Amino acid sequence: MGSRLAAMIRKEWSQLFRDVPILLFVIWAFTGAVYTGGHGVGAELRNYPMAVLDLSRSAESRELLSRFRAPYFKIVGHVSGDAELVRWLDGGRASLVLVIPADFDRRAQQGGARFQVISDGSQSMSATIAGAHIAGIAGRYSVELLEARMGVAHGRLPQVDARVRVEYNPNLVETWFSGLLEVFNQVTMIAMLLAAAAMVREREHGTIEHLLVSPLRSWELFTAKVVPVVVLVPLAALGSVFGIVHGVFATPIRGSVALFYAVTVIYVFALASLGLTIAVLARNLGQAMLLLLLILYPMMLLSGAFTPPESMGPLMRYASLVSPVRHYVDFGYQVLFKGNGLAYVWPDVAGILALGVLLFAISIRRFARLAR
Amino acid sequence: MPRMPGDRALAIARKETRQLLRDPTYLGLAIVVPLLLILLLGYQLSLDVKGLLVAVVDHDRSRWSREYIDGVVHSEYFRLVGVLDGAEEAREWVRSGRARVVIDIPPDFGRRLSAGESATLGVTVDGSFPTRGQIGAAYVEAISAQYNQRLLREYLVRHGAGDDRLWPVQMELAVWYNPTLESKNFIVPGMLVVILMIFPPLLSALLIVRERESGTILNLYCSPASRWDILAGKALPYVAVSFLDFLLIFAVSIWLFRVRFVGAVWILAVGALLYSVCMVGLGLLISTVTRSQLAAMLATFLGAVAPAFTFSGIFTPAGSLDPVGRFVSRLIPATYFMDVVRGSYLKGGDVAAYVPSLLILLLYAVVISTAAWLSLRKRLG
Repeated sequence: MGSRLAAMIRKEWSQLFRDVPILLFVIWAFTGAVYTGGHGVGAELRNYPMAVLDLSRSAESRELLSRFRAPYFKIVGHVSGDAELVRWLDGGRASLVLVIPADFDRRAQQGGARFQVISDGSQSMSATIAGAHIAGIAGRYSVELLEARMGVAHGRLPQVDARVRVEYNPNLVETWFSGLLEVFNQVTMIAMLLAAAAMVREREHGTIEHLLVSPLRSWELFTAKVVPVVVLVPLAALGSVFGIVHGVFATPIRGSVALFYAVTVIYVFALASLGLTIAVLARNLGQAMLLLLLILYPMMLLSGAFTPPESMGPLMRYASLVSPVRHYVDFGYQVLFKGNGLAYVWPDVAGILALGVLLFAISIRRFARLAR
Repeated sequence: MPRMPGDRALAIARKETRQLLRDPTYLGLAIVVPLLLILLLGYQLSLDVKGLLVAVVDHDRSRWSREYIDGVVHSEYFRLVGVLDGAEEAREWVRSGRARVVIDIPPDFGRRLSAGESATLGVTVDGSFPTRGQIGAAYVEAISAQYNQRLLREYLVRHGAGDDRLWPVQMELAVWYNPTLESKNFIVPGMLVVILMIFPPLLSALLIVRERESGTILNLYCSPASRWDILAGKALPYVAVSFLDFLLIFAVSIWLFRVRFVGAVWILAVGALLYSVCMVGLGLLISTVTRSQLAAMLATFLGAVAPAFTFSGIFTPAGSLDPVGRFVSRLIPATYFMDVVRGSYLKGGDVAAYVPSLLILLLYAVVISTAAWLSLRKRLG
C-alpha cells in the first residue's frame, strides 16, 4: 500500500511542479498580492478630505481650522459659496465641508458660536468617526475659550481628559494589519484552489477514469491530492510572513512561528478537503470556480476582519463560527501579532480542528461515492 | 448570400449562447451565485461597528465615575462586558480579546471633578485591528465630549453663567446622501460593483483557452471570422449575462433592501454596460494569453477576484488609501464604476457629473478589447 500511495503522491507532486503558470501564480499570491493587498483595506479615518467655507475669516476661525489636522483630516481646499460646496461634495472631491458663519469670531468670544459640518454619509463608517472627532475638537476648543473668558488656568475646569493608549500597534499602522490579513486570505484561497484544481484537471482530461479503475483506494487518491497542497501552502505562508509582512512592512512578529506553522498545516488540510469536495461535486472547472466563490466569499467576509463579530447580526455571528476562516484569522493575529500562546488560542485551534475533521469526513465520503 | 458586417460575430455569439444554455448548471450558477451573495451579505453584513466590547476598571467608585460609565453603557457603540479589578486584569482581557477597549478610571477622578478640576482617564485600545482601534478611540472621545459638556454646563450654572447661549462653540452636523448613516446604503451598491468585478471575467476567462485545450480553436483559426468577430461573438452572450446579473441585483437592492436611489437609472445602466464590457473583455484577454483553463482561472482570481474587495473602494474611501493603494485603485475600472454607482444611488445630480467616469470606463473598454485583439493570434503553436 505504501508504495502505491507514494507513487501517486510523487505523480501529484511533479505535476504541480511542472505547471509553471500555476507555480508563478502561487508565488505572486504570496508576494506581490500580499504587498499590494497590504496597502488596501481599512475603513479608518486618514487624510479625510475636507473643504472649508469660511465666512468669518478671523483669528478664531483660523484657530478652529488649525485643529483639523493630520492624520485624520486633510483640508483640500476652500470653497467660496453654496454652489461650489455642493459641487465638491457631489463630485467626491471633499467628503466633508466645514461652514463657518460670518459672526463666528464675535460669538466665539461672547458665547453661542456655531459652525456647520456637512458630511458625505455615503461612506457611513468614516462619516461616523469624523463626526466623533469633530465633536471632540469643538468641545476642547470651547473649553479653552471658556478658560480664557473666565480667566482660569488650563486644567482648572471640570473636564475629563481621555488618554488613549493603543496596545500592539501604537500608531495604528494599517499595513501591519492588512498585510497579515492578505496572507491569511491567500492561504485560504490558494489552499482551496490548488486542491480543487488538482481534481478538476483529472476530470477534464478524463484521467479520473484511470484513477477510479486503478487499485488506488479513495482515501489514497484523496491523500495524494491533498499532500502537495499541505506541504506547499504553509511554507509559502511562512515565507510571506517573513519576507513581505515582516521584511517589507516591518510588522512585528511577536509569537511562536512553530505554533503558527502547525495550525496552518491543519487549516490548509481542512480547506483543501473543502476544495476537493467542491471539485468532486462540480462537472467542470467553471462550475467548480463558481461553487468555490459561493463558499469562499461569505466565509471571508464573515472572518471578523471586516466587521467585528460582536457587531454582526445574530444569524451571521453564529454562522461565522462554522467558518474556519474566522478561527484562522483570529488565531493568526493572536499568535503572530499579539504573541499569544496556546493558552489563549485553544478555542480557535479547537474550532479549526473540529471543522477540519468534519470537512475531511465529508470529503472522504464524497470520494468513496465517486469510486462507486 | 450577401453578408452583413457583424454577421459572423453573431453566428459565433449564437454558438456560445447555445453552449451556455446546454450547461444549465453552469448558467444557473452564474446567475444564482451572485444573487445569493448579495442576499446573504446584504442582509447580514454590516460595517457599522456597534456594540464594541468594552470593560471598565473603576478605581474611583464615585457618583462621577458612575455617571461616566452610564454614558458608556447607554451608547449603542459599546457593550459593557465587565467591571474589572485592576490594570493587570484589564491587560489580560485586551490580550485575550474579551474586551477591545478598556476604560480605566483613576481613584481621584470624582474628587478632582467635584473640586472643579480636570481629571484624566486611561483608555486602552486593542490596536491589532487598527480600524476597530481607531473607532473605539473615537467613540470614547465622543462620549467624553458629551460628558464634558454636561459637566461644564453644571459648573457654569453654579458659577452664575449658566446660559446655553453662552456656550462658546457648538457643532451642527448635517449628513448628506445617507442621512441615517446606514451601512446598507453603502454596502449593497458596493456589492454590485464587486459582484460585477468577479463574475463576468470568471465566466469569460475560459472562453478561448477552453477551445485551445480541446483543440476546437483550429476551427476558428481556419474560419473566415476575423479576430474582432471571434472576440465580439464570444463576449456578447457573457456581457448579456453580466448585464442580467446587474438588473437582478439592482432590482433586489431597490425592492428588497430598499436602498436609497436618487439618480437616473439609465446612467447607471450605461455604466453597468460599459463596465460589463470591460470585465468580460478582461476575462477574454486573460483567456487569450494563458495556455490552460486552470492558469486562466488562477489569473482571474488574482487579477480580478482577490483585489475586488481591497481596491474597488467598497470599504475604503480612496482618499484614505496610502499612495500605493491609491495608485492601484486609480488603475482599475472598478473605482470609476463605483463613482457612478454610489453617485446614482445616493447623490443624484445631472449627467455632467458622471461623464468623466463614464468616459474613463469607455476608454478602459476600448483599451482592454484592443489588448485582447492584439494577443489573439490566428496562428498555431
